[in-house]
Amino acid sequence: MRGWEVPRLFEVMMYDGGVYRSEELFEMIEDVGGVVLQKNRSSQMLMVTMSIPGEDREAITKLCTEIGGVVKDVPLAGTEIAVVGPTLGRHHMPHPICDIAEEFRRYGSVTVVMGMARGRGKATAQISAVERGIIEEYDAVVFMMGNFKACVEKKAELVEGIHVPTILVSGPHPDGVEDKCEAVISGVGRKASRMRTPPERKKLDEIADTMEAVLRDKKRSLEEDPLFVHPAEVKQVLENYEPIDMCLRPAPMVLHLDGLRVKIPYSEHKEYLENVEVFGRKLGEVADIAPSKIDDSSIIIRIKTRSQVADEDAAKK
Amino acid sequence: MEIEVIGDDGFGNDAYSHLFDDIMSDLNKAVLIEKAKLVLRPETPLFVFSIVLKAEPTVKTIPDVSNVRVEANNIHLTIVQERYAPAILSSLWGKYGRRAVVQQTRFDLDVIGAKEEEIAQIVVSSGEEDKREILGAIWRTMPEGIKNRKVLMDGNVITVVATEEIMRPEMIKEGQAVHEGMGGAEVV
Repeated sequence: MRGWEVPRLFEVMMYDGGVYRSEELFEMIEDVGGVVLQKNRSSQMLMVTMSIPGEDREAITKLCTEIGGVVKDVPLAGTEIAVVGPTLGRHHMPHPICDIAEEFRRYGSVTVVMGMARGRGKATAQISAVERGIIEEYDAVVFMMGNFKACVEKKAELVEGIHVPTILVSGPHPDGVEDKCEAVISGVGRKASRMRTPPERKKLDEIADTMEAVLRDKKRSLEEDPLFVHPAEVKQVLENYEPIDMCLRPAPMVLHLDGLRVKIPYSEHKEYLENVEVFGRKLGEVADIAPSKIDDSSIIIRIKTRSQVADEDAAKK
Repeated sequence: MEIEVIGDDGFGNDAYSHLFDDIMSDLNKAVLIEKAKLVLRPETPLFVFSIVLKAEPTVKTIPDVSNVRVEANNIHLTIVQERYAPAILSSLWGKYGRRAVVQQTRFDLDVIGAKEEEIAQIVVSSGEEDKREILGAIWRTMPEGIKNRKVLMDGNVITVVATEEIMRPEMIKEGQAVHEGMGGAEVV
């Protein structure tokens, strides 16, 4: 017997294929002690994002290939990212914003696209406290700006004071905005067509790679004071709760780096969520549970760190 | 379509030249435009978009956009300009009823009991509608926040002067200069 335990490093990957024999895949994920992070079924096609022990990767890959699917690396899995444009009007939407959101989805993230109510114009653009609050529910945000340097530099004020990692994407490279966001990527402005050409695809990869690097920093800072429980484990506990199981909204539970979004009404289910047991503790004790700022139909669960829980326990005594 | 862009922002000039071309092509208006001049001053902000149409939009009747011939007391139409097909159909349905209009193919139709003289007088597009559509296309190419606009329209030259807040007299004057430079009449 060895005197030490070999750490089981988990790897995140995605199965992309058909539903045929997918039950075998789910069984194998369970057998190896893995977790299904996200499952999207569209007609006969299935995409499963899973977290599995590294040593079982080969076996899972073999099975995925056998049942006719492919396995992809998904570095942004387990995150929810907002792509924000000045408005949802056709001037700012849909091409670059949707292309960026789609690229993130290919990297494994769950994405949302947002526009601000009064984001248009150079002198009159503004962001409200509610909009800021909504944006801060996500793991990271991409702000998409336009083609004129003077406008981009002025409108970069909108990203100030947002407390989640922010990437500014614009046409020309703005000056003096480096302190307002984590990264600036230029070369993508307002467009009237999809980003299909090789240089444009390369630019999309650059945005996704930058996002990966930015989130890697966030993950590293989370590792310094780890969460009391991993969001995927909370997801596993909540998965069998009937209102979530029966929820018809796409992806009823979305993982965040520090918690999860559960798409059921807060007022009806807060009591259950606060009292559900996770590793012998009530979820309400080890996580902050609040309604989403979008509306009451979603719940944001932010898991406390181990030190935070220990501090609170000590204070109670 | 020849596009001239005047502005200090190198990236913006290039991007707006492509945007203008792409949007006008998407909306099928590029074929109507001979040349365009875009003055881009985002720091003010002031945008002047001026276009010269190949021909001034005029009233179009059914014979202008289709071949009309009499066949066994009926009228047979072959639509030549597809963009007017919906307007032709709806005006014929309105005048003769759906039963009297037999559509053989996308472009060929018979109108039972119609007379050639009547058909010749049916207007399928007024010049105003065309101008409105072109103006809508120009607005679509402009930045979204630039909402305060003044339109100068005269013959086959259309100029839109736009800014974000207060339209100052010197902005209108600049727009008029561009309008006249494109061949528009002097605005008094």
